[in-house]
Amino acid sequence: MLGCLTAAVLLAAVTGLLAGGAVAPGEVWPALTGGAVDPTTRHIVWQLRVPRVLVALVAGACLGLAGLVLQAALRNPLAGPEVTGVTPGAVLGAVAATAAGLAGWASPTAVVVAAVAGGCAGAGLLWLLAGRDRSDPAAVAVHGVLVSAVLGGLTAMVLLVAPGELGSVVQWLVGTTEARTWEHWALLWPWALVWGAAACLTAGPLMLLRCGEDVARAAGLASSRARGFALACAVGLTAGAVAAVGALGFVGLLVPHVALALLGADLRLALPGAALAGAVAVCGADAVAQLSSRAAVSWGAGHLSIPVGAVTTAVGAVVLLAVARRHTTEL
Amino acid sequence: MTEPATTASKAPGLAPDEPGPGAGDPPALAVDRVGFGYPGRRVLDEVSLSVRAGELIALVGLNGCGKSTLLRLTAGMLRPDAGRIRVAGADVSGLPRRAAARRVALLHQTAPAVPGMTVRQLVRQGRYATRGPLGMLRDGDDAVSRRAMADVGVADWADRHVDELSGGERQRVRLALALAQDAPLLLLDEPTTYLDLRHQLEVLQLVVRLRTERRMTVLMVLHDLGLAARFAERLVALRDGRVAADGPPADVVTPDLLRDVFGVDGRVGRDPVRGWPVCYPDTPTALAPTPAPRPPAPAGRPADVPNSAGGEAR
Repeated sequence: MLGCLTAAVLLAAVTGLLAGGAVAPGEVWPALTGGAVDPTTRHIVWQLRVPRVLVALVAGACLGLAGLVLQAALRNPLAGPEVTGVTPGAVLGAVAATAAGLAGWASPTAVVVAAVAGGCAGAGLLWLLAGRDRSDPAAVAVHGVLVSAVLGGLTAMVLLVAPGELGSVVQWLVGTTEARTWEHWALLWPWALVWGAAACLTAGPLMLLRCGEDVARAAGLASSRARGFALACAVGLTAGAVAAVGALGFVGLLVPHVALALLGADLRLALPGAALAGAVAVCGADAVAQLSSRAAVSWGAGHLSIPVGAVTTAVGAVVLLAVARRHTTEL
Repeated sequence: MTEPATTASKAPGLAPDEPGPGAGDPPALAVDRVGFGYPGRRVLDEVSLSVRAGELIALVGLNGCGKSTLLRLTAGMLRPDAGRIRVAGADVSGLPRRAAARRVALLHQTAPAVPGMTVRQLVRQGRYATRGPLGMLRDGDDAVSRRAMADVGVADWADRHVDELSGGERQRVRLALALAQDAPLLLLDEPTTYLDLRHQLEVLQLVVRLRTERRMTVLMVLHDLGLAARFAERLVALRDGRVAADGPPADVVTPDLLRDVFGVDGRVGRDPVRGWPVCYPDTPTALAPTPAPRPPAPAGRPADVPNSAGGEAR
């Protein structure tokens, strides 16, 4: 099953490489392999498409992994990176940095640093607010919703005060893979690798945490410490992904369900599976977004580029409805 | 025959730090004047208990008398605020979680459902204490958890989902999870909750059999005094956080115990074939204040009970 997912990742990557509008699909392969194509085509493929696909794959993997880690550690199938304060914190960090003129699309490093700092600050705020209830997953989830709402409000205030950058920032609020460069890739992959490896190594403790506090502690797990470490991994992964592609809706919430359904409750398999499924989801959604933008343009919509976040949100809302229904019927 | 706080521990004149000189192995479990409470509520007070290796003990008492708390303390999941608990000589509250879990396995009264988890995967979680976080990444089908599944008879459903099982089946799976810890001391918190009569007997017979086969020491909380009297070799009754009775069921299960520990007037007979004590509870009565293990004063309004309920008890 992991093999199937890997094949799906490759398929999504190829589709992503072919999906753009400016270069005909037949010219992509020669451009990649150094065949006879004009320099503009080569530039588009190498400098725009390849990093875009790579960033989409890694960001998706981060979100899928972070979502599964969160859901296992908090024992809440409807927890996602959005409700831990990380995503809204990272958005606020990036938006504030952009508004203050410290960062912009010309300087991706500054945006990434601001987003990671914001994400960590958001998680830290949740940590402080949760106080004594830190070991109670339900209370943490409730505080997470609260923190997310406050940070979202602050982001809106920043946008209102400094509307100059609004256009580029709004795309990023929805989540986009447009104009991702090798600079983004170079910043993203080491971060993702470290936190991703750490998250996969916690598969054992996470399985016990899924069994509940009492069972986990009786079996010898120092549950508070294990949960803290797992949450730190989730924060790191989410912050990295949000810094790279913005606040992609629903990926971190729904991909874990797909991974658990395909691979079963053994997290030694399901964690890598969630990473692969997340990569497929984001890269595939990006391809769909590009193809539908092209279709819209060919129908006379003028210049239009649908951000990938719009696709993940639209698809995600439907899937979430299905997941929520199933859970409510079980209860 | 039943004195309050009667224990088999050494005389208080000996040094309290040593596990008792000349006794060979330390007791499997030594609870020494343990106290525990939450702000505003004292749960356990001066509880002492000494358990030899291989004993099968039932812990009984009213709801909220501290039975489950005593189990949690013994498993090292809570820290006593007075006294000390030693398992095979080691102070459990000072041990790291994993080290404690290698010595004591605790089966909780209830456990939340884990969607999608199979029997094999759940039972394997018991290996955490031995293997550690990274060791859990290695092969998923080790000999110890396979034996635990075979011992409780769930090996055939290893790949079924736990949430699809019936209550009795699930209880056996959870027992297998505790056995997979391979700890010499097994604590069971009401292992028969939610089970019907047949499955109650099945689970307890299983516990008795495994205790012998695996040479474990078992301390279990039971709500059903009849089952406790039948299956345990020794019965410990708690009342308001203190040990109210401690001894073999044949000696301890008396009308006095029913009245003083459970606040119930009733009679106690013997099973005509097997001879174990059988309780015939009759009416709830007012519980005497805690430090009164003797029969209560006549002020216990006998007029409320016009029939002969109190006759046998007096």
